[in-house]
Amino acid sequence: MIAMAGCKKAETFPVDHVSSYYVFNPLDSAGTNAQAYLYSIYNELLSGHNRVSGNYLDAASDDAISSSSTSQVTILATGAYSSVNLPSGEDFWTVTSNSGLNGFVTATSSYWSAIGYANEFINNIGVVPVKGSLPNGVGERWVWQSEARFLRAYFYFELVKRYGGVPLLGNNTYTASSNLQLSRSTFAQCITYIVNECNAIKDSVITIQSGQADNYRVTQGAVLALKARVLLYAASPLFNDPSASNTNPYIGYTNYDPTRWNLAAQAAQDVINLNAYGLYPSFRNLFTTQYASGNNEIIFIRPVGTGTSIEADNAPVGISSAIGGGITSPTQDLVNAFPMINGKAITDPTSGYNAAKPYTDRDPRFAATILYNGTNWLTAPLATYNGGASRPLNGQTETLTGYYMGKFMYYPEDTTQTTFASHVEDWVFFRYGEILLNYAEAENEAAGPSPAVYSALYQIRARAGIPAGTDGTYGLGTTSDKTALRLQIQNERRIEMAFEEQRYFDIRRWKIAETVMNQPRMGVSINNSGGTLTYNYVPVLTTKFVAPTMYLYPIPYSQVIEDPNLKQNPGW
Amino acid sequence: MLYCYSKKCFTVIIILMLMVAKTGYAAMRDTTVSQGNKTPDWVTGTVINTDGKAIKDVKVSVRDTKNFVATDDKGHFELSAPVGSVLVFSVPNYNVTEVTVGDDKNITVRLIDTYLQSPAKVNVLYGTQDAESVLGSIATMYTSQITATNAPTFDYALPGQLAGLYTQQISGFMAFSTTPNTVGSPYVVGNNTATENIRYNNNTEFTLNLRGQTPVTIIDGVQRDIEQIDPESIESISVLKDALSTMLLGINSSSGVLLVTTKRASSGKPSISFTAESGVQNSLSLPTPLPAAQYSYLYNEALTNDGQAPIYTGADFTAYQNHTDPYGHPDVNWFNTILRKNAPITNYSLNVNGGNEVAKYSIGLSYFNQSGIFNTNPASTYNTNNDLSRYNINSDVQVQVNKNLSVDLQLFGRVQRATEPGAGTQNILNALYTTPNNAYPVFNPNGSFGGSSVGTAYTDNLLSMTEYSGYINNNTNDIMANLDLKYNLNSVTKGLSLKLMGNVSYESVIYLERNLQNPSYVYKDSTYTAIGTTSAQLNSYNTISTSRQSFYQASLNYNRQFGNNNVSAMFLYDTKSAVNNYDLPNVTTDKALKLAYNYEGKYFVEGVVNNSSYNRYPPGYGSGWFYAGGIGWQMGKEDFIKDNVDWISSWKWRVDYGRTGNNNIDEYSYYGYAQTYQSGVGGYTYYPIGSSYGTGFTFVPSPLSVNPYETYERANKLDIGTDISLLKDHLQITADYYHDRYSDLEEVPGAQISFLGEPYPYENIGINLYHGFELSATYKNNIDNFNYFLTGNISTQASKVIYDAEADLYPLSEHTGLPVTAIFGYKANGFYETAAQAAAAPTLSGYQPRVGDIRLEDLSGPNGKPDGVLDQFDQTAIGGLKPLVFYGGTLGFNYQGFSLSVLLQGVFNRQIDIQSQLTEPFAGIGSFGYSPQGQAYTDATSRWSPETASQAKLPELSFVNYQYGGYNSQFSSFWLRSGDYLRVKNAEIGYTLPYLWANALKLSSIKVFVNGENLFTVAGYGGEDPEVYPNGGNYPYPTQRVISAGVSVKL
Repeated sequence: MIAMAGCKKAETFPVDHVSSYYVFNPLDSAGTNAQAYLYSIYNELLSGHNRVSGNYLDAASDDAISSSSTSQVTILATGAYSSVNLPSGEDFWTVTSNSGLNGFVTATSSYWSAIGYANEFINNIGVVPVKGSLPNGVGERWVWQSEARFLRAYFYFELVKRYGGVPLLGNNTYTASSNLQLSRSTFAQCITYIVNECNAIKDSVITIQSGQADNYRVTQGAVLALKARVLLYAASPLFNDPSASNTNPYIGYTNYDPTRWNLAAQAAQDVINLNAYGLYPSFRNLFTTQYASGNNEIIFIRPVGTGTSIEADNAPVGISSAIGGGITSPTQDLVNAFPMINGKAITDPTSGYNAAKPYTDRDPRFAATILYNGTNWLTAPLATYNGGASRPLNGQTETLTGYYMGKFMYYPEDTTQTTFASHVEDWVFFRYGEILLNYAEAENEAAGPSPAVYSALYQIRARAGIPAGTDGTYGLGTTSDKTALRLQIQNERRIEMAFEEQRYFDIRRWKIAETVMNQPRMGVSINNSGGTLTYNYVPVLTTKFVAPTMYLYPIPYSQVIEDPNLKQNPGW
Repeated sequence: MLYCYSKKCFTVIIILMLMVAKTGYAAMRDTTVSQGNKTPDWVTGTVINTDGKAIKDVKVSVRDTKNFVATDDKGHFELSAPVGSVLVFSVPNYNVTEVTVGDDKNITVRLIDTYLQSPAKVNVLYGTQDAESVLGSIATMYTSQITATNAPTFDYALPGQLAGLYTQQISGFMAFSTTPNTVGSPYVVGNNTATENIRYNNNTEFTLNLRGQTPVTIIDGVQRDIEQIDPESIESISVLKDALSTMLLGINSSSGVLLVTTKRASSGKPSISFTAESGVQNSLSLPTPLPAAQYSYLYNEALTNDGQAPIYTGADFTAYQNHTDPYGHPDVNWFNTILRKNAPITNYSLNVNGGNEVAKYSIGLSYFNQSGIFNTNPASTYNTNNDLSRYNINSDVQVQVNKNLSVDLQLFGRVQRATEPGAGTQNILNALYTTPNNAYPVFNPNGSFGGSSVGTAYTDNLLSMTEYSGYINNNTNDIMANLDLKYNLNSVTKGLSLKLMGNVSYESVIYLERNLQNPSYVYKDSTYTAIGTTSAQLNSYNTISTSRQSFYQASLNYNRQFGNNNVSAMFLYDTKSAVNNYDLPNVTTDKALKLAYNYEGKYFVEGVVNNSSYNRYPPGYGSGWFYAGGIGWQMGKEDFIKDNVDWISSWKWRVDYGRTGNNNIDEYSYYGYAQTYQSGVGGYTYYPIGSSYGTGFTFVPSPLSVNPYETYERANKLDIGTDISLLKDHLQITADYYHDRYSDLEEVPGAQISFLGEPYPYENIGINLYHGFELSATYKNNIDNFNYFLTGNISTQASKVIYDAEADLYPLSEHTGLPVTAIFGYKANGFYETAAQAAAAPTLSGYQPRVGDIRLEDLSGPNGKPDGVLDQFDQTAIGGLKPLVFYGGTLGFNYQGFSLSVLLQGVFNRQIDIQSQLTEPFAGIGSFGYSPQGQAYTDATSRWSPETASQAKLPELSFVNYQYGGYNSQFSSFWLRSGDYLRVKNAEIGYTLPYLWANALKLSSIKVFVNGENLFTVAGYGGEDPEVYPNGGNYPYPTQRVISAGVSVKL
């Protein structure tokens, strides 16, 4: 009779475990859980702020170095990686496990996971009768599906720009018993796929962020901006080799077609033609102002929130009321790239550059991007001369170049402020400024210097605060030489988009990494002798780039071994 | 206050109560003694044990004659022995005692139990069995071997005493936790870490490893992982090592069993025993931090090595050296500041036992108190040390209701309260090991707590954390009730009986936080700046875990002898249901049949089959058939030995083989075989949507790929053993060989293709082999009253990964074919001594080694040849390749009440990883990049430097190379050192006062004793304690040497 007590019925499966039926619920017209699932696909977008082991990816380019020599980003900068030890912050291929709730193991940081999530959503959302539709009649569930398709296309592009052609999974989802020994699709197939996806969904997403509630959403602008960037990359020398010497279809086109630049220019023009976006008047406040507050330069963001974490990681050390982490050290190379206020490069004898006062009368974007010795920073002028409060040379993390990064921060240059102010820290994936630069670059390559090209650059410079000058060229001068203008456009892109995860890839697609990364990175060593400052330019890090191998990442060694159909990139 | 006072006076109160009880009892006692002497040489007497109970069947002989008798049920004997002759009293499990016949012709002789016991019946799963008929491999220890150790759990008594059981202490006393403890020692299986069947447990101090597995603890027939039981109330602890012995556990039978049997009621005169024991604990192997002067000197050296400017000046050295500036240049040895030299430990135990054939009872009550190592503030009105105080109660009442029915009710309860400083013991230990002497002063000139604003690690003053941070209480309460009904069915057929057992238990662990954090101040230029996050005293209450468990068992037993044929059979059904916290109940069910037969006690055969299931597997994968069978041969009873070889008294051979199960699905997930969705993956529980960053809750499949065919692990276990008894049972030898093949081990396939988008699920794929020998030998004898013994055991444990679905990526680090215990890393070979060597050295992630760095060998590369780069291709098996060998030995004697026992324990072929703050100076603390500020210890002085190159034991000092995967901190054979040791684990000296003295006090016996734990250690790597040592970022509570003295009184 005692044994009978053991026969009480128990739940055989915990109903608190949510099943697929509950997520893609055919009875829920609000689609609450399906939308939550969609958010988790959005969640796979990563903010670029201090993304790579606490550093900006740009610290692996010629624009900056990490203040910590043991940082993983330095492995990228010094070319010390291989197919077995690509730093995890840049390895978007390998699925790493992460213990979740209830002992579940889940994946993080692999775009293959993100693509898998998106495919699961794309395949199942059709059964959820979500209320609402776009003005053109597209039902809300299909709008959501299109957002997932955009995200999937974006994830693919992030892989393609690092690895070249990758396997295209279509809408397939897999289980552990599936045959997963897939082959790579060619670079051309991948570009075509991404562009076709963009074309297919551009009319089934919202046209523009209509209000503050949907600031995170995929818009028509975002779809076209992605297409513009993809086509720009596809037309660039790395993939569209003018010497047409490439025979490997996975790493680029096997032919050279200059009209690819026309496609890129047209794609950028399509965004401009939306007439929905413009340059925000203040370059400095561009990143701390939301779309909802009138910043219509923003096309697509990864919302992060408000706070002071950018300052906590990157602001200068040594200010006791507002201690920064000082992890990012911009290089002298980047500093030298900023022109004077008149728009002329500092190497131009007519620019007015004074080597004894190197920071005076520079392009206003310089002060908005870099914190230098003497700039007003919270309580006092910043002291980055040797032994100064922000360059104590005491073995702790501090600038190695004499500069700190100031971009993305909120700093009123008001010495009555003593602490960091909380501000918007969203990561901007696409902004109108990039579209103009994309257009200028592609149009110059397609048709050579033209008023249309200059117009785009003038808009950028005018917003930066550079006066038009007596000749009305904003210091650019005029040239009919495509190559000369290309260099100006490349420099403009460098200073306009510093720390926005552009430069690292730009020097690759322009195939200049083998030149710029094989020079020592320079910093400044300022000696303060009774108020007299002397500037010495010193090497701070020896970067390395092995061409052509390093133009693309190696596919992880384990994957090439386990999937014999997967061809490794050349040289690895 | 009264509470505290009464606690302190506990001993006195108990003694007084006992005296009162004793007086009352003495009055009831029958004082008439038979006086009728038959002849002048006629001696009569009674033989009793230390409980005052009669011993029957004692052989009483007159020395040098053939004259002997045996005592009767009441312990009486009568025989003829002249005055001056010597009577010898001998009976198994008691010390041989000789008494000279004097004028008193009616004597009472009290025999003292032997330290080692070998009763005729041994405890097995769900019952007892004649030792003669056991076919499995069982090792047992009894009360004396357990009580010699004064410790919070019985685990402390296990090392070295049971063949086949390897123990390692992993931490000193840590009664405290704010998360549920679970048991299941992780071991590396191929490319995966797998663990045993996961269970809630109180044992945080020892890992137990029985033939390579973590045993299941079963107390009085019920699986319960409670190890905090009063040792005095334990009758025996056994390990059941083979398949046949554990088969009744069915789906849980793979792991082996730690079988604990508590003392049950026994009939007879009421006997009361009381033991009080008190001791002091000293921390072993605390490291010696560098004084500030030396620290700053070496700090500068490290900076210089890294090409940085030194930060300490000559004036700083002088100030540190002369202690002229205690605030600006502090030099605080925090070990001396917050730790005390010794801490008390106290144990009281009261046991009452008695009754008659109709009703008998046993009650045990014990109180245990252990104090922690921290100093406390005398002005504080509450205790802030990490202390443990515990009451245990164990009662058992057996009633023979009628001729056929007996009822046994056992109640067990535990009330335990642990305290720790509000900042948390582990946090304080971590801070203690990493804070340099010169970080900050204890107090500032104005009496406020010192602190440092360099980084964020030293903003909370260590003394403030230890003595002024409030407290946290952890309360564990247990209750268990066990009801056994036995019904004799002889009326149906002779030898048939029915047993029903019901058991319910409940455990709750809660904690109460009353902690706070005080501000610390940086004193500089006569101003004080407050730092740190201060918080007012909390009052919060949380449940850590609750567990409800019920266990019901019904068995039909048949035992009968037909001539020389002995037959027994059992049909058993049981079901166990446990509810942990908010989980659904987990239910295990067994339906087992056991059959045993022997002929003349010479030829044995036994078999068990068990259909067993567990409810959390996918439907159809959670139940199975498990079986085991054994045969035995008592060769000693064969005529060719019995008639010819008189020095062999018994020689038994036994073999058993079985197929067992290991139910460990809960280790991997909770109903993880079905695809479900969850929120909060990847650190974000929501996506911040809208301009105000609202909560867009996320939901992802977790994981996309699940294994719907997950099932239990299996093992095929073979045991071959022999038990030999020689030289009139003075010498006993047991030897075993085992060969256990574990299969269907839950592992993740090594080849994982990323296109799945998810980590692969666990599958039942691994195969491991464990095999080894166990040998134990005991010699016991006496020279007159001098009874001595010597016992020892030695075990080997070898293993091999037969299959683990590796990815075949790195040939040198493949695990298949190597021991399960293999350790992988770089091969190290001294230091780089010259710049030329360093310049030619292989690089690690772009780092070119420098002079004074560890020389790591470049063994291979993607093309199978050394490639000048250190990466996974160069990591190989660097340790753990030899079979583990562990041993223990006890020797002792008893001479007229004086007793001694010494327990030695040791292990070889063991290796430890010594990487920690002790060997990596300045390591440890930093947020971005490196901001090295950690402590350094005397080991740092043996670093490599151009001057000390020849005696260097550690690489050059550096900040970059020790931190965040820095070059020298790569795991290599440099950091792997011998973990061999030999320990005087325990020793006890006792004196049992002569019976006449005790009797004069109307007591049965008084014993005084002194014992010690961890008295002496010889270790292969002498720098740290070989068992409890800082390892990586883990700073365990130090192991303790305990010296105790006590008295045990029986009436």
